Amino acid sequence: MTRLQLLSLAAAMAFLATAGAHAAGDKAAGKKLVYTCAGCHGVPGYSNAYPQYPVPKIAGQNEQYIINALHGYQSGDRTHPTMGAQAQSLSDTDIQNVAAYLSSLAQ
Amino acid sequence: MNRALTLLSFGAILAFASTQLLASGNAENGKKKAGTCFACHGTDGNAVDPQYPRLAGQYDEYIQQALHEYKDGRRNNAIMKGMDATLSDQDIEDIAAYFSGLPTKLDTLQGHVSGDK
Repeated sequence: MTRLQLLSLAAAMAFLATAGAHAAGDKAAGKKLVYTCAGCHGVPGYSNAYPQYPVPKIAGQNEQYIINALHGYQSGDRTHPTMGAQAQSLSDTDIQNVAAYLSSLAQ
Repeated sequence: MNRALTLLSFGAILAFASTQLLASGNAENGKKKAGTCFACHGTDGNAVDPQYPRLAGQYDEYIQQALHEYKDGRRNNAIMKGMDATLSDQDIEDIAAYFSGLPTKLDTLQGHVSGDK
């Protein structure tokens, strides 16, 4: 009985560990996805038009914040036509991968 | 000579116009006004909790833009709306000047994309 309990405990822990690993994004996949972002976010000082303000620096930004922001553009909590369209093209996994890569770039 | 003068005055106007565009607030005043921001965004502008953004070294005018959007609802966020409600335009300029001037961990994506060297 104890052996069975130990076994199930080990199984549960293994499951939790993989679930945790799964939740973290894949940086390498994220690096491929951010190719699109670089058109605007990769040009130092590049300006948004109407209204005019610099496109934010996103390399090194915090992971969960990036996830929340992209979901905000998807849901309409954040209104920005270009970012709305870009975010629509990303799956939840894509968003996690992008966030994992960008946050890993903190200097 | 006349043409040179005309060109010069154009240059002067352009220079003036761009300083207006880049007009920013007073970072010293911003530091005093940013007390409530520190709890989440860190005293150094580098939020430790990953759900909050790093502000240190972000573009001045982008921070201003974001604060205006939270204030008027273009960005719908209950926490930031509450924080922003009492900020004047001058407060926003000052706070943005403060955070944008701090040592940064942020960067553009230049050099961070597949295929970049």
